[in-house]
Amino acid sequence: MNGVHRSSSWHRRRRDALAGFAFTAPAMLHTLVFMLVPAGAALYFSFTEWDMISPAHWVGLRNYQEILFDSDLYPDFWKSVRVTALYALLSVPASLVTGFVQAYLIDLLRRGQSLYRLVFYLPVITAEAAVAAIWKWLYDPQFGLINAGLEVLGGTGPDWLGTPGVVIPALALIAAWQSGTAMLIFLAGLKGIPRTYYEAAEVDGANRWQQLGRITLPLLRPTTFYLVVTGVIAALQVFGIVYVLFGGNAGPERSGLSYVLHLYLFGYRNGAMGAASAMSVLLFVTVLLVTAAQFRLVPQQYEE
Amino acid sequence: MRALARWVAATAAVVSLAASAACGGDSPANEKVVEFWYYQPIPEQSKQVKELVKRFEETEPTITVRLTEIPKDDYNTKLSSALGGGRGPDAGYLDQPLMARYANAGQLAEVPAGTITESDFYDGALRTNKISGKLCGIPLQQTTVALFYNKKLVSTPPATWNELVAESARVHWENPNLAGVNVPKGEGFGAWLFPAFVASAGGTMLDEGSRRIAFADPPAQEALALWRKLLESSPRRITNSENSFHKGLTAMMFSGPWEVLTIRQQFPQLDFGVAPLPRKDVAASNIGGDNGVVFSKARNPDAAWKWLRFLSDATHNAEFSNITGNFPTNRKAAQAAKINTDPALKVFVDQLETAQARPTVPEWIQINDEYLAKAIEEGVDGGRSPADALTDAAARARKLLGWQ
Repeated sequence: MNGVHRSSSWHRRRRDALAGFAFTAPAMLHTLVFMLVPAGAALYFSFTEWDMISPAHWVGLRNYQEILFDSDLYPDFWKSVRVTALYALLSVPASLVTGFVQAYLIDLLRRGQSLYRLVFYLPVITAEAAVAAIWKWLYDPQFGLINAGLEVLGGTGPDWLGTPGVVIPALALIAAWQSGTAMLIFLAGLKGIPRTYYEAAEVDGANRWQQLGRITLPLLRPTTFYLVVTGVIAALQVFGIVYVLFGGNAGPERSGLSYVLHLYLFGYRNGAMGAASAMSVLLFVTVLLVTAAQFRLVPQQYEE
Repeated sequence: MRALARWVAATAAVVSLAASAACGGDSPANEKVVEFWYYQPIPEQSKQVKELVKRFEETEPTITVRLTEIPKDDYNTKLSSALGGGRGPDAGYLDQPLMARYANAGQLAEVPAGTITESDFYDGALRTNKISGKLCGIPLQQTTVALFYNKKLVSTPPATWNELVAESARVHWENPNLAGVNVPKGEGFGAWLFPAFVASAGGTMLDEGSRRIAFADPPAQEALALWRKLLESSPRRITNSENSFHKGLTAMMFSGPWEVLTIRQQFPQLDFGVAPLPRKDVAASNIGGDNGVVFSKARNPDAAWKWLRFLSDATHNAEFSNITGNFPTNRKAAQAAKINTDPALKVFVDQLETAQARPTVPEWIQINDEYLAKAIEEGVDGGRSPADALTDAAARARKLLGWQ
């Protein structure tokens, strides 16, 4: 009796396991073939000198050593680190603020929420090349709309994409404009805050600002934390917009040389795929450390 | 687990089936297929290249040329991945500065003796195919850079460096909202153009024979000082505007023949002329362009060479360059091409006679983009002395090349 029972449940479990494998197989295979294997290969090639067209040969830690410490061979490596750090520092808060403001205002609307959601999300789904083309025009030092607007207000705008010190803020502004994803997630977060809290606050005589500061923002902490973590990860890997805006030249005095653009140029243009692989491993480790640090330092939950 | 294994096997079977279909083993046994990769042209050009292929196939009935068009920016990425994976084409374009890297990796077949007559070709273009004395490709098309000037602002184009500086200053002085010259920046293009000015001052970039870096010598310093001087009368605020020359905001620029076609199509109101690059001591220019190569693992190398010979011969090389908007590499073709009847384009043809081939070390792209471009940026826009900036770049290049 007991034995029969055990064997049938064992069968069922085995069948479940098989079905489970069948369902997850495509995703697992995808992860294995397109992510884990290439990542493993990149780790291997990071210890080699390799130009993709001749056999790789083992050089041990030399790539890492030269990338980090030899500013003759890699004169712009640390510059690309600084550029990327500054970009993350500016673009993540900027897109969080615009995303939140958009979500907050949309949440106040009684009708037409879905229309505004769509409109503010459009920049995210617009092709990177089109985004770059639009902003190139907006930022044009002679005919750009932004500087024309500043002139009407009595000021003179900088040569946005032509002045080294202004390039990263200009890129952060584009990121702020493309904050549709943050907007959507904040909006979902806002919907998750029970109305009763606000009603109670109103009864207690709290005004809008007090409600925002005491209820909305604290209760959005998990949402904000999620957006900060994913935003920083994405910002550290920024590539598309700088590549389309500046190409391999990376902007005036290479002020738009993001880490991944630098890596890409070494791998695909300079024929130093081994060094590029080492850079990608360094980036991976950095992202891991930065994310771990955020889990420790950034508040994730609302605490009384 | 077994289900997973079976699933893997089935997927693998489907994938390999799809792959073999894509590569096509379907042609008759006596027919030879040449898989040829080249840059993605505009649709009109693409049609004309296909016409050219058809004519080639009529003369060589046993050969089929299969064209694959790839965006230029992705070409090297795709090609090196394909060759690395053992699935490369038989033949294709190769950008001049990439020749050394592919040749040293053993990916290029040597041109069989008797395929072409070397003296038929422009020397500068031919030399880009010589790697360690071996001919590794056939020059197909070439290009160079000249001086464009706005006829409303500049009546006589400057012929010397001194005249260039004076003319640029005059334009900017008469109207501060105009820039004299679109001064090249420290980036790929500027570093590509730089050797022309160095050569004009009597210098070179590298001496490969004696393994010596020459681009920090006085001629290069003078060239860099010239660009820096030009910047005084050519504010970036004006020249950084998109197409500032085309819109009449900048009086002069250095650019290639592709710009002639762009201006005529998109800025027909601009009255412009083209003149040779201003010189210091000797006339000199730079060169760019594409060679036709056959890869060492090609399945039909003989047929591939026939196709490349066809593209580079006296009649078809002219047609080919007319299609792509570049210049013939074959001297006889250059006489026949329609560029000769066009005074603006004729300047480029004449200038190709003084074109300086790039150094053929495989690391040249890295030296050009990472070190030389940086020196130009520091020396022109950054306010460092040309001598210091170039000396640093030379030290870096020396280290990379191991030429201690």
